[in-house]
Amino acid sequence: MNNDTGMIDRAATMAAKATPPRLVRRVRGLSDKAIAWLFIAPTMLLLLVINIFPLIWTIQLSFTNYRANRPNAEVVNVGLRNYERLLTDPDVWIAMQTTAQFVFWSILLQTVIGFTLAYLIDRKFRGHAFWTTVILIPMMLSPAVVGNFWRFLYQPQIGLFNYIVSFFTGIEPSSFEMLGSVSLAPWSIVIVDTWMWTPYVMLICLAGLRSIPDYIYEAAEVDRASPWRQFWSITVPMALPFIMLAVLFRGIENFKMFDMVNLLTGGGPGSITEVASITLKRQAFEAWRTGPSSAFAIILFVAVFGLANIYVKALNRVKQR
Amino acid sequence: MAEVRLEGLGKSFGTSRAVTGMDLVIADGEFVVLLGPTGAGKTTTLRLIAGLERPDAGSIRIGEEDVTGLSPAERDVAFVFQQYSLYPHLSVFDNLAFPLKSPARRWSAGEIDARVRDIARMVRIDHKLDSKSTKLSGGEMQRVAIGRALVREPSIFLMDEPLSSLDAKLRADLRLELKRIQSEIGATLLYVTHDQIEAMTMADRIGILAEGHLTQIGSPREIYTAPANLHVAARLGHPHINLIKPGLLPCQSMPDGVRTIGARTEHILVEAAASVAQGNGRVDWIEHLGDQNHLHILVDGQKITLLADPYSGFKAGDPVSVSLKQPLFFGADDRRITDV
Ligand SMILES: Nc1ncnc2c1ncn2[C@@H]1O[C@H](COP(=O)(O)OP(=O)(O)OP(=O)(O)O)[C@@H](O)[C@H]1O
Ligand SMILES: [Mg+2]
Repeated sequence: MNNDTGMIDRAATMAAKATPPRLVRRVRGLSDKAIAWLFIAPTMLLLLVINIFPLIWTIQLSFTNYRANRPNAEVVNVGLRNYERLLTDPDVWIAMQTTAQFVFWSILLQTVIGFTLAYLIDRKFRGHAFWTTVILIPMMLSPAVVGNFWRFLYQPQIGLFNYIVSFFTGIEPSSFEMLGSVSLAPWSIVIVDTWMWTPYVMLICLAGLRSIPDYIYEAAEVDRASPWRQFWSITVPMALPFIMLAVLFRGIENFKMFDMVNLLTGGGPGSITEVASITLKRQAFEAWRTGPSSAFAIILFVAVFGLANIYVKALNRVKQR
Repeated sequence: MAEVRLEGLGKSFGTSRAVTGMDLVIADGEFVVLLGPTGAGKTTTLRLIAGLERPDAGSIRIGEEDVTGLSPAERDVAFVFQQYSLYPHLSVFDNLAFPLKSPARRWSAGEIDARVRDIARMVRIDHKLDSKSTKLSGGEMQRVAIGRALVREPSIFLMDEPLSSLDAKLRADLRLELKRIQSEIGATLLYVTHDQIEAMTMADRIGILAEGHLTQIGSPREIYTAPANLHVAARLGHPHINLIKPGLLPCQSMPDGVRTIGARTEHILVEAAASVAQGNGRVDWIEHLGDQNHLHILVDGQKITLLADPYSGFKAGDPVSVSLKQPLFFGADDRRITDV
């Protein structure tokens, strides 16, 4: 023990000798707090550059009539007019409504299917590890790949999807067009999103189910609770915080869902599948109305942030119960 | 309440045999305590009766019915688990009410409320009814676990060391309380403990378990005064029984074939000797436990420990003469030799 400290001391002294004296004094003089700051500074800097700075710049642009394709034009400060226009624009509200419907349906399906799958896999049947891996595959693909892949599946003439539907229902395969029809296009996106992200929800639900110790079920069984009652009074309440977490993550993700919609329908036909992020893209990079679209981005940000905050409060209340 | 009958019960986990060939009848309204070292198979026996484990061999009958193949819910037993097993997301009240809310019972909310409050008062947890069960101390959790069993009227209560994490006073109180409740409602109760006082004071019969075998079962008196073998003798008695070779100490009559003599305090006579030459041992040291002392005596290098009156006047180093008075004799197979 004594020997050890001796050695460490010697090593420290040697290191000190090898370092220029002024630096030694400086490093030795640093408090723990200063060293902690030194370690997190690079991360902070990176966050500042790629997150905080663009955010502040966007806020600034949202009060102007700036157009990115005419950088030399005069920039006029328009005050709150961008916000005023957006919030009274019926098209914007329709986009918001479309987004809300997507968020609702895809989360509902993903949660119900994801939890059911997790519940089945948690039974630990033979080969459950293999099936877990298989189910997780869609989640590991890139959204761009998934988008293109499903565009082929949805092809009315050669797509597999239409054939499968026709096989089960007898409807002529080429008589409907998933991506092209006004009534089906929204559902085609919900289906792809569900296919891709249900495994993610399943994974979180599985973690929740695995966190319930076996002895709780043993106690319940001795207490003569039926499987139905065990499910509703033990499994669901104890896994609820996990389910809510999955909903939160998917909710935030789906609110800004962009790449999949852009690849599958690009907002069409017409503007039926035009979710807020697509509207934003059209405004910003097709119409080049940078100022107003910045304002729109801020509105979306505030909405997601506010909703998520309310939700997290509810989540904490459930956890405390 | 009902009689419980185990016949040839056996259970292995892989290659390790937790319980083997267990025959045990617990009469209706009887309080049976299982004693045994750790890993002896006590918890496994309770789990087999509850239906949480499937036996490899043998049968279990509760009352008239063979329940060997039935699920826990169909057996109607109440279990106090060694690790409490409370429902962590529920309050104390809801934990206690959980078994009562079974749809088969059809109890009204008012009846459940009254019953829960009654039992909570009995196990002294009524001041914490609204607390979440994870925010309790170990002893409080244990009382909730006992309460959750007591709210029901099962055919048998199974209790796995239910008082182990309580302080001495509360343990003594609840020991009396539990015994009173048991005899009041005439409950059939199988109870596991390491605590000898619990076993001696509460049990109608004590069963001694060793390596999955039920070595002996009998009244506390029988187990204490007439243990079947060395192992059983070693389970009871405080301080631990002294195991000595024949010939070390003078003894009036000794049967043939004795390999070990078991001597408890009441089997040992200690008298002060005038000098070292006259006695055959000396007092090594004295352990003061408060209301009593442990006297450690050295005889020919072998240590003998017995209970002593605090006012006996012995001091460390005193020469003593030690002799035996009707001790327990064990043969070469470790069984007690009965025909003295
Ligand atoms: N689920 C299990 N899987 C494998 N082995 C087990 C299992 N349960 C118990 N055993 C083994 O069976 C033997 C008996 O265990 P048991 O829990 O019945 O002991 P116990 O008498 O209750 O001990 P303690 O006093 O420590 O609670 C032990 O050797 C244990 O390792
Ligand atoms: Mg045990």
